[in-house]
Amino acid sequence: MLPNKTSVINTRKDMFPDKKSTSKQMKTSTLTNAAGLNSLITFTVLLLAWISGFASRLFAVIRFESIIHEFDPWFNYRATAYMVQHGFYNFLNWFDERAWYPLGRIVGGTVYPGLMITSGSIHYILHSLNIPVHIRDICVFLAPIFSGLTAISTYLLTKEIWSAGAGLFAACFIAIVPGYISRSVAGSYDNEGIAIFALQITYYLWVKSVKTGSIFWASMTALSYFYMVSAWGGYVFIINLIPLHVFALLIMNRFSNRLFTSYTTFYILGLLLSMQIPFVGFQPIRTSEHMAAGGVFGLLIFVATLRHLRTVLTKSEMKYFGGVVAVIAAILLLILICLTYAGIVAPWSGRFYSLWDTGYAKIHIPIIASVSEHQPTTWFSFFFDLHILVTTFPVGLWYCIKRINDERVFVILYAISAVYFAGVMVRLMLTLTPVVCMLAGIAFSDLLELFFKEEDSERDRSNNGSEEESEEERERSPGRALYDKAGKLRRMRHERPRGNGDGLGVNLRNGVVIGAFVLMMMFTLHCTWITSNAYSSPSIVLASYSNDGGRAILDDFREAYYWLAQNTPIDARIMSWWDYGYQIAGMANRTTLVDNNTWNNSHIALVGKAMSSNESAAYEIMTSLDVDYVLVIFGGMIGYSGDDVNKFLWMVRIAEGEHPQDIRESDYFTERGEFRVDSEGSPTLLNSLMYKLSYYRFGEVKIDYRSPSGYDRTRNAEIGNKNFQLTYLEEAYTTEHWLVRIYRVKKPNEFNRPSIPISKRIVARNANSYVSKKTPRRKKGYIKGRPTIIKGQKPQRKPT
Amino acid sequence: MRFINKCLCFVAIFGAANAGGPTLVLLDNLAIKETHSIFFKTLQDSGYTLTFKLADDANLQLSKYGEYLYQHLIIFAPTVEEFGGVVCVETITDFIDGGGNVLVAGSPQFGDILHELASECGFEIDEEDSAVIDHLNYDVSDNGYHTKIVADSVNLIDAPAIVGNKNVSPLLYQGTGLIADTENPLILRLLTASSSAYSYNPQTPIKDYPHAVGKSTLLIAALQARNNARAVFSGSLYFFSDEAFTSPIQKAQGGQKYEKSGNEAVATMIARWVFKENGVIRVSAVHHHRVGESEPPAAYTIMDDVVYSIDVQKLAGDKWVPYETNDLQLEFVRIDPFIRMTMKPVGNGRYEARFKIPDVYGVYQFKVDYTRIGLTHLYSTTQVSVRPLQHTQYERFIPSAFPYYVSAFSMMGGVFLFSLVFLHYKEDTKPKSE
Repeated sequence: MLPNKTSVINTRKDMFPDKKSTSKQMKTSTLTNAAGLNSLITFTVLLLAWISGFASRLFAVIRFESIIHEFDPWFNYRATAYMVQHGFYNFLNWFDERAWYPLGRIVGGTVYPGLMITSGSIHYILHSLNIPVHIRDICVFLAPIFSGLTAISTYLLTKEIWSAGAGLFAACFIAIVPGYISRSVAGSYDNEGIAIFALQITYYLWVKSVKTGSIFWASMTALSYFYMVSAWGGYVFIINLIPLHVFALLIMNRFSNRLFTSYTTFYILGLLLSMQIPFVGFQPIRTSEHMAAGGVFGLLIFVATLRHLRTVLTKSEMKYFGGVVAVIAAILLLILICLTYAGIVAPWSGRFYSLWDTGYAKIHIPIIASVSEHQPTTWFSFFFDLHILVTTFPVGLWYCIKRINDERVFVILYAISAVYFAGVMVRLMLTLTPVVCMLAGIAFSDLLELFFKEEDSERDRSNNGSEEESEEERERSPGRALYDKAGKLRRMRHERPRGNGDGLGVNLRNGVVIGAFVLMMMFTLHCTWITSNAYSSPSIVLASYSNDGGRAILDDFREAYYWLAQNTPIDARIMSWWDYGYQIAGMANRTTLVDNNTWNNSHIALVGKAMSSNESAAYEIMTSLDVDYVLVIFGGMIGYSGDDVNKFLWMVRIAEGEHPQDIRESDYFTERGEFRVDSEGSPTLLNSLMYKLSYYRFGEVKIDYRSPSGYDRTRNAEIGNKNFQLTYLEEAYTTEHWLVRIYRVKKPNEFNRPSIPISKRIVARNANSYVSKKTPRRKKGYIKGRPTIIKGQKPQRKPT
Repeated sequence: MRFINKCLCFVAIFGAANAGGPTLVLLDNLAIKETHSIFFKTLQDSGYTLTFKLADDANLQLSKYGEYLYQHLIIFAPTVEEFGGVVCVETITDFIDGGGNVLVAGSPQFGDILHELASECGFEIDEEDSAVIDHLNYDVSDNGYHTKIVADSVNLIDAPAIVGNKNVSPLLYQGTGLIADTENPLILRLLTASSSAYSYNPQTPIKDYPHAVGKSTLLIAALQARNNARAVFSGSLYFFSDEAFTSPIQKAQGGQKYEKSGNEAVATMIARWVFKENGVIRVSAVHHHRVGESEPPAAYTIMDDVVYSIDVQKLAGDKWVPYETNDLQLEFVRIDPFIRMTMKPVGNGRYEARFKIPDVYGVYQFKVDYTRIGLTHLYSTTQVSVRPLQHTQYERFIPSAFPYYVSAFSMMGGVFLFSLVFLHYKEDTKPKSE
């Protein structure tokens, strides 16, 4: 029928963008080879996407070494290592007495265990195959490996929604898009690394189950949802988006038995399974975040009942019945409100409020606002993370809206909600990225289909295959026929004048195609550049580049942690700001007071209070918490901006939230409302513990001959409080570039004798009334009024 | 998982297990060796090796190669302005911080360096040439300035470990007064002057208010540092002299006459206390375990019944003997004490507490903090973790859940029966519908 196989595929795809193209091809005997080629291409593209995605995530490993990055991954790694060593049940019951001293932390009940179980089972399988891989290597490479799985699941999802071609585009995009790489480079061993895969596969299975209406697919959705719940707190996104989808379909009058079957199955199974995770527990039936799913479940059953009754009852009976229903609904709503007020159903949590009101966290929960990844997203970072996709994804969205059907409603809702959330928090850029890739894939695929058609437009018209196809589809699913047909017809009308277009000759087609390819190449370059420059720093090892391009490694963090591990007693308690808790526990294996699992705000506020008080007040807090060492990060020497002095205002704010009578943020500003560390800074700031620990002995340092001594390169100021001594602490260790400074807290028994300072003495005496008469040679003392015996004559010694 | 047992005992065993020990005596002239011979003899008899040196000796040193040469230091050199050799205020305070004990006695001519040393220990010595004057309680042998005062033994501190029996004859005292830092909790006021005394230069008219008046004028004061090192300051060197030890005593204004002053008894007791022969206790062992077990577990579980016992010993001569008391308290602390109870003595110096761990998990400490006047500070903490229930330790079948069990099983049964009926019914209906 057609001479060129590849063009067959292209035309086919063009003509049947929906699905089933392969299965249809199977029917014709001449096309069996084409189907084989089709799957070969699919396989190759996905494999390449996987490999390139994996490879581009290895920058950090190649530049530095195979280590765990940042903060949270250190805890995940530590927990995984513990689980591998002690077994799952001990991990489940793990009470970590080294964290949150002296409160301790129940790790098993406060962690999403999916990540640990995943890498633990990989470790187990490899070891049972006698492949001895260290658990650390599995943890380091887990996220890059899962990025390939994400690409495949994105392909599947896009294929369900649009076409295989769009799916391949989407898979390629997601493999290298920076928005996703930022959370999944090698060494970034965090929940998000596997959660995006779980998210995509859950959505794929959900779309599949809505399309087929089979209990099997719905149960698979629930299982995959269970995996997602075990992996990441972002599961809330799923359990709200799927009900939203169902709700939208109900409103659009697209109720079907398939929808009913799949949602009821998914909801009940998913609910029961999600409650099996100890950290989630009873939240799915008690918190407001999960209430929408339950409400939609009830609504769906209600609609189904109504539909059934409509077939049974007469019209007048229905009217009467409608009244009853309205009353029942009102009563149910009232009960829910009452339960919320009674405290049985928890109201929205703070983190959730901050999603609606971006100013909420700053006022009420400073600890959430203090995290940089919870800040609102800038326009710049949309382009930075998504590049060309951010402009093409609205096109894909428009295509979906134009040719709407059940599953495209889903992807539209997914896109709109994800865009909103990504605008609220930088961190949620991650959930936006997959849908952007999918829609951009649809856009590119459609564009290329249009302009790759070449001379096949004639055949297109003569074949009129799409008419047949839509005919067939109408038969297959009569419920949607009206909509689909309308969408299709409109598209055909829209397309035809273009396809025949006089001016749209070869040149224009080629121009557009080349343009699209140039864009995609630029996208690839951009992705690689971003990955290499922005997202591949382990952040525990810093690199600086000198003018001649040479690279210097600043390994101060590990130097300090190693010092702690080697030089402090095994049960020493280290106080630091919570950012470094996981790293201290993971690398130095010492007890910490607070860490990145910020579950206890008042304990963090206590540490913040100690840091922002003066030395003696801080000493009281530190002794009550049995602190042995204090660790601060100081960037003034090398100009590292993420240090503790720059975070200091957050410590003050968090401390003020719990101890408003002792700590007031305004005390730390100058009269003109500035936060400055030089001599004009507020005295409260200049005498706070954090200031003193950061700048202790820094006044003696002269970095270069142009700047004065004690010149802080991060804040570009000469420090205001230079020559001070520490009473209650002593410097224990300072790393090579002064990045980490460790102080030992003196024990009470080191203040052996409270001596009376000169200023407080009652008996006024001239303290230096006696001038020492000792010389290096003559060490005799002096006693008042003692008769000295003079033996003979001795020459007077010259004073030296 | 990890069992952390940490025992901090700040009991200075250093030099205390054997009474006596090398002692350096610094004098401002060697005559003092003779005038205070009874005091020195008593010390030598109880086993101390006394090394007499002049305070300005050019070869003075307290430590060599980081080791202390002496355990105790007696400074009977009121007029010294500068010690010889390497000794200065700092070396003496380092000596105290290193666990050494110091006894200092002075006179109105206290030198600057001793003023400085006293301030380092939390006292102040009154100005030079001032003396404690008491116009009501002075001895008959007084020379008219009313500075040789008779201190009543009721003004001694209420601590038998330090001053022994309080029912001794009055004490003779001639010297300057001491002022203690009121905010310093470590200071012990061993002997105060009576309420009619004050401290001033007896030869000049009084122009301003005296620094020390009445009972706040300390005659002998002591410091027990946080490392249990002890330092005693006496404003009067005369207090330790043979003359004061042996002379009869009588208040000039109609007092009862005693053949012998109480100085010898009190001075000997104070010397024995300051050199750690008396009032030294220590923790010898700490045990804790669940009721019915004998070894401490890796971690306790909330609401466990636990037994904690501690052995306390007292130094008597050369031996450690059980220390018996009934006011030893235990605290179970996680920032704040969750449990505070008096421990039961079970004999032989062992004290025991049995209690139920509270229903709060975390890292706790068994803490015994026993501070009594005249005794060394007894402080012992043992850190233990208290973990929450394991997933297997919760109750399996809760009575209140029985309705749910019933409903679950009845549902299962119902579905089973329904499916049976459904299948059966279907077979029946087919012929009917046809």
